[in-house]
Amino acid sequence: MPKLIKNGEIIDNTYNWLQDAEQAVTPDSIVAAQKWLSEKDSIGKVAGIWLEAGDGVEFLNDIDLSQFEVIGVNFPAFTDGRGFSYARLLRERLNYQGEIRALGNFIPDQLGYLLRVGFNSFQFNEEVDLEKALALHKPFSIAYQGDVSDPRPLFLRR
Amino acid sequence: MYQYDAIDQQLVEERVAQFRDQTRRYLNQELSEQEFLPLRLQNGLYVQRYAPMLRIAIPYGMLSSAQLRKLADISCRYDRSYGHFSTRQNLQLNWPKIEDVPDILAELAEVQMHAVQTSGNCIRNTTTDQYAGVISDEIVDPRPYCELIRQWSTFHPEFAFLPRKFKIAVNATESADRAATQVHDIGLHIKKNEAGEIGFKVIVGGGLGRTPMVGVTISEFIPRVDLLTYLDAIIRVYNQQGRRDNKYKARIKILVKALGIEEFRSRVEAEWQHLKGKESTVPMSEFERLQGFFSEPNYDTLENQPASLTSKLADSAGFARWFERNTFEHKKSGYRIVTLTLKKAGQAPGDATAEQMHKAADLADKFSFGELRVSHEQNLVLADVRQEQLVDLWEAAKEAGFATPTLGLLTDMICCPGGDFCALANAKSIPIAAQIQETFNDLDYLYDLGNIDLNISGCMNACGHHHVGNIGILGVDKKGEEFYQISIGGASGHDASIGKILGPSFAQEEISGVIQKLMNVYVANRSEEERFIDTYRRVGITPFKEAAYAKAN
Repeated sequence: MPKLIKNGEIIDNTYNWLQDAEQAVTPDSIVAAQKWLSEKDSIGKVAGIWLEAGDGVEFLNDIDLSQFEVIGVNFPAFTDGRGFSYARLLRERLNYQGEIRALGNFIPDQLGYLLRVGFNSFQFNEEVDLEKALALHKPFSIAYQGDVSDPRPLFLRR
Repeated sequence: MYQYDAIDQQLVEERVAQFRDQTRRYLNQELSEQEFLPLRLQNGLYVQRYAPMLRIAIPYGMLSSAQLRKLADISCRYDRSYGHFSTRQNLQLNWPKIEDVPDILAELAEVQMHAVQTSGNCIRNTTTDQYAGVISDEIVDPRPYCELIRQWSTFHPEFAFLPRKFKIAVNATESADRAATQVHDIGLHIKKNEAGEIGFKVIVGGGLGRTPMVGVTISEFIPRVDLLTYLDAIIRVYNQQGRRDNKYKARIKILVKALGIEEFRSRVEAEWQHLKGKESTVPMSEFERLQGFFSEPNYDTLENQPASLTSKLADSAGFARWFERNTFEHKKSGYRIVTLTLKKAGQAPGDATAEQMHKAADLADKFSFGELRVSHEQNLVLADVRQEQLVDLWEAAKEAGFATPTLGLLTDMICCPGGDFCALANAKSIPIAAQIQETFNDLDYLYDLGNIDLNISGCMNACGHHHVGNIGILGVDKKGEEFYQISIGGASGHDASIGKILGPSFAQEEISGVIQKLMNVYVANRSEEERFIDTYRRVGITPFKEAAYAKAN
């Protein structure tokens, strides 16, 4: 079974990220959010939804997100930083408590920032050595800004 | 100036360790070129035409003499014994080895310096007025606010992969804008409201590059406690909605233009409503803490115009010239602000040798409380010089090549490194600067022409700010040959404007001849005391154009 990093550990990936809209939806699927939205009455139980860069999060305002075990955020390229704002808004604005999973072309060196904006699981593409990636989990022990784990900037903690 | 505490120090040291590991993995081929690229850029490391280039951050241009000595030492041991001061008040080394960069960063950390976010699509070094804190008509010292922004923007987890680079500049006086704030992604003008509270007028969407624009006001007044939440709101909107499909359309200015300022403002306001008043609201205690680092040095009670100064002004035309051009009024009587110009003929604008850096550090220790500033016009500034010591300083500055008395004149050019170094450049820019310096070497004539900003960029990326030069020179590639497009009428102050292109580009050897023709038109048309830019604004581009392209007969 493919592996991923979740909550600082390497574990089995038990969900199925459906990138292709034609693939059959099963209860362990992470389905494209737009697809889920248009087919939610017929689609049945899913593990979660995933956001494409460009989706934003506003369209989820009236959805009960607690029904999802996981919300994925896709990075079409690791330089496309929209997902950093999406994760933060999911946590801070929409108060989503479940798993937020980074998907796609992000790289291990981004783990520190990804954790701080609210991601807690990381499904890397292809050849990434997860043991080595795990070592990059937390490059900094302190931060100037508030973040999802502690909203207080350093000036409130100094 | 700001002093690191244990936390600031720990952060830069952890950054060194992180970059050391990234460099090691890159050299071991564990990280691809493509993956290493944004990582090294966020640490100021470019790979240039002949060698890497490392851009070292000098936050809002403040340098201690110890830091400048360290920069000089580093340039000797890891580079070719010189550095280039940039328009973002930073220092660039043109010849370091990639494998040495982690060691360079470790040495910088010893003197509370770094290269964090000096490049890449993230929030860059915040810049401000090089006279901050020492001029009399300043609303308040902008530097504590710059430091606040520095800390907020350093390793901001949400904004490290923006659509494009993001630059913020702060101004704190109505009499001038020496930081070109209106051509920044965000320009902040410190002001006080009717109740006397400190806040910021916020300007957004300015920028140079391929589509130069002067910024527009998004808010007339944001109270200082709300500064960071408001900045977060602007950049969060930009991060999500800025274009990512075309790097030439990715700056915030394009988004602001496309939406219109009203729509952009309403999106920012909507975002801000969620953030305003939350944890990132800055408490008074933090302003006080930061202001504490920028308290006044121990000024003595001194008289203006001491006898040693007035007699030398009467006796020495050379000294009087230097005093007039290269020194500026200080808020304290008996003191003067002195610019050490890096515009000596024969040296690339903004370049300083290691020896000069050591010399400037010595001068700072001897004459100005051990501190210096880097200006956006690529000069060094000693902010607190006793007027009675100006003669001594002038003698020493002359010897070190810092006293070319041309500050603000035609030959005080802003110039990027250009095709001699930069991989992006279409054309060389340093030889153009040299040609102009050589041609316009008559000080009397330069003084008669008065204040003129001449800016040179080797390509559309506009590192030399050519769009906002009264005269702008842009290197272009014409079928593999280097040509230069000339624009006039740009300005970077409170009256910021983008220059207009004169017409077809010129060959390298024609440039100073064309500048001469432009000067002739100015001199023939000016009314008394009228600056070049004002004459241009009055008479328009046509007479300049006609002169520049007139046939030789």
